[in-house]
Amino acid sequence: MSKRVYLFGYGKQGHALAEGLRREVFEVVIIETDPHYVEAAKAAGFEESYLIDVTQDSQIEALHITPDATMVCVMEDEHLNVFLTLSLRALYPEATIFAISSSIHMTQKLKMAGASRVIDLYHVSANRIHNILTKPVATKLLDSFISNDSDISFREIAIPEGSWLHGKMAEEVDFSAYGVLLLGLVDLELGNKFIFITSGVAHKLDSGDILVCIGYNEDLDRFESIIKLSTEPKKI
Amino acid sequence: MLGTLLVRFAFALQGSAAYRRTKQFFRDILNNPECSYKKYFDSLMIFLILTSVGILVYEVRHPVPEWMIIYDVYVVSLIFAVEYLLRLWVYSDVHTEIIRAYEEAKFLRKPFRLSEVLAKIAKEKFRYIISLPAIIDFLAILPAYRPLRILRIFVLFRVFKLLRYTKSINQFVDVLSNKRFELYTLLFLLLFIMATAGIAIYVFEEDKNPNITSLFDAFYWALVTISTVGYGDIAPVTPQGRMISILIIISGIAMISFVTSVIVSAFSEKLDALKENRIIEELNRKKAFLIICGYGQMTKMFLRQEQKLGSDYVIIDKDPDVVARAIKDGYQAINEDASRHDVLAKFNYEYAKITVLCLTDSDVENIYIALNAKSLSPSIKVIARATDEGMQKKYALAGVDHTLLPAQVTGMMLLTAITKPVMYRGMHAILTGQHVAHIDEVYAYRCVGLIGKQVLEIDFRSFRLLFIGIQRGEKGEFLFNPPADTVISEEDILLLMGLEISIRHFKETFGGGEL
Repeated sequence: MSKRVYLFGYGKQGHALAEGLRREVFEVVIIETDPHYVEAAKAAGFEESYLIDVTQDSQIEALHITPDATMVCVMEDEHLNVFLTLSLRALYPEATIFAISSSIHMTQKLKMAGASRVIDLYHVSANRIHNILTKPVATKLLDSFISNDSDISFREIAIPEGSWLHGKMAEEVDFSAYGVLLLGLVDLELGNKFIFITSGVAHKLDSGDILVCIGYNEDLDRFESIIKLSTEPKKI
Repeated sequence: MLGTLLVRFAFALQGSAAYRRTKQFFRDILNNPECSYKKYFDSLMIFLILTSVGILVYEVRHPVPEWMIIYDVYVVSLIFAVEYLLRLWVYSDVHTEIIRAYEEAKFLRKPFRLSEVLAKIAKEKFRYIISLPAIIDFLAILPAYRPLRILRIFVLFRVFKLLRYTKSINQFVDVLSNKRFELYTLLFLLLFIMATAGIAIYVFEEDKNPNITSLFDAFYWALVTISTVGYGDIAPVTPQGRMISILIIISGIAMISFVTSVIVSAFSEKLDALKENRIIEELNRKKAFLIICGYGQMTKMFLRQEQKLGSDYVIIDKDPDVVARAIKDGYQAINEDASRHDVLAKFNYEYAKITVLCLTDSDVENIYIALNAKSLSPSIKVIARATDEGMQKKYALAGVDHTLLPAQVTGMMLLTAITKPVMYRGMHAILTGQHVAHIDEVYAYRCVGLIGKQVLEIDFRSFRLLFIGIQRGEKGEFLFNPPADTVISEEDILLLMGLEISIRHFKETFGGGEL
């Protein structure tokens, strides 16, 4: 995935998102209809901030967005947001479009307009309360992954070419000996789908597969270097 | 002499734990609706009353066997008498009164006068004796005296005693007593019309109508007519008399419909309150429940998920329209202000595990509710929704266990979705509980088979489960992927991931099938 994100809207949500994306070393392009917000974005150090009228397709096209780009629609005006999603989808059928919705009806409209993923404010929050109530420990753990403030994290590790893992069955490898837990993997042969390790399907590892692991950062780092080797190292 | 003896006795009672316990027990069983034995006692009393009245009715046409009389006279009446005395006993504490008077006298260096104290105690007890329920109780004992036949009718007072033991009748009386003013006014008006019409018919028809011979007959006729009952045993015969009839029939119809409407409106006003009380009572019997404050989008969304679990909850909202909508949507809701102390105090916060969700869209209200809940009992768990990041600190100060910022949570999710798409999908699946990736928390104390075992002794793989870690106690540290020789203790919570059936199988194997 390209590390360039087109962020439509620099309101309250957009502002926080832009900062978050910058922290993750993404190249953020901000597009706004409100000159104040554009100024604010420029002041915050976002060089690529443009003031355009998003209802005009010609002006969007002038941005020269690549067809498979990642776009985020978080305009403050909800109606404009839906309209924008629709026009972006019409212009770039291949693009990945994210949007934030603040009601059930809006979610449906955004999906119809062609957003790839809609994050519903109330749905997500309600879910969270639900999780705090029913799964407090798991919620705390997953939170720490997101906020990056814990030693434990969630990492996607691609199996390198010529790794000793190539050709092994997932069950054969004792990941926990390396201080790493394998949650699941993305198998390129089976399409871009995330498979949970506990789903009970016997799985052969190939180079190029993406392992999704959790563990302490140092263990993950070590594990990443270990799987580059061509033979499994002797257990310590 | 007698005085000092009594004072010493009072102190002895004061010091005796057994006496206090006994008295408290009887006080609970008689008067405390929370007491679990009270309902058995009430049922017994209702049974006694019904059998006693049954015997009275049976007696009219049939000779009564000896055992029935013994039962009615001695058993029932004796129990009633004992109950009466017990109620009199628990009404006030005599010994504390004596001690108080004694200590007061000592403090003021006055002579301790027994007669004064006794008079005061007697006055106190007498106040109970002349209260309405006590009089009914007393009259209900009277039929025990067989020689006086007229006393038999006092058995009916036993029916009135039912009031004490059945709640719905009490509520009925409560509802009506709220309309006391209207009902008294109407009664006064009725008596006034009845008296005027009665006197008028007496004056006009006493000599012409053979059925009216006294003023009593005239009043009787007036009441029968005004109530639209109209037996017809006494009917006016003169045109003047008929004119009076016309007038009082018309006023009677008006009055009766008025009375009916007063009673009906009293009930419809109170109906919501009665329903709400019922909801609260039902919840209070549960071990754990949710109090959701505010019914907005968030609450709706939350309930949509929560409903599958069928957990116990009640929605509290200040706005009656909103409550009406919630009820229409099929949820349990009451119209109250959760920021008021007495509203939350109605819930059984001492025994039940209560979680309060502050989901109104005003920070001020949420914080107030949170403070209210926490001041009631720190054990009440509070989860609140905040609108602004700056508010988070205030919520923390108010003692809120979890503060939720919808915008922040959503932003985080969106950010994760863009920057770590695989992880986002994984977490989404885990958190929304999709069946392949159920993450669950296994409490060691519910799975006794786990306690004392080392991690390596449990073959998680054969259960097709991924063992993520151990939470040591509710507030303890989290051990991620603990070493194989870690011993599981009773307060541990194991975090496992896998198919739902695998987790269920795991729980069943280790002796804790139920959740």
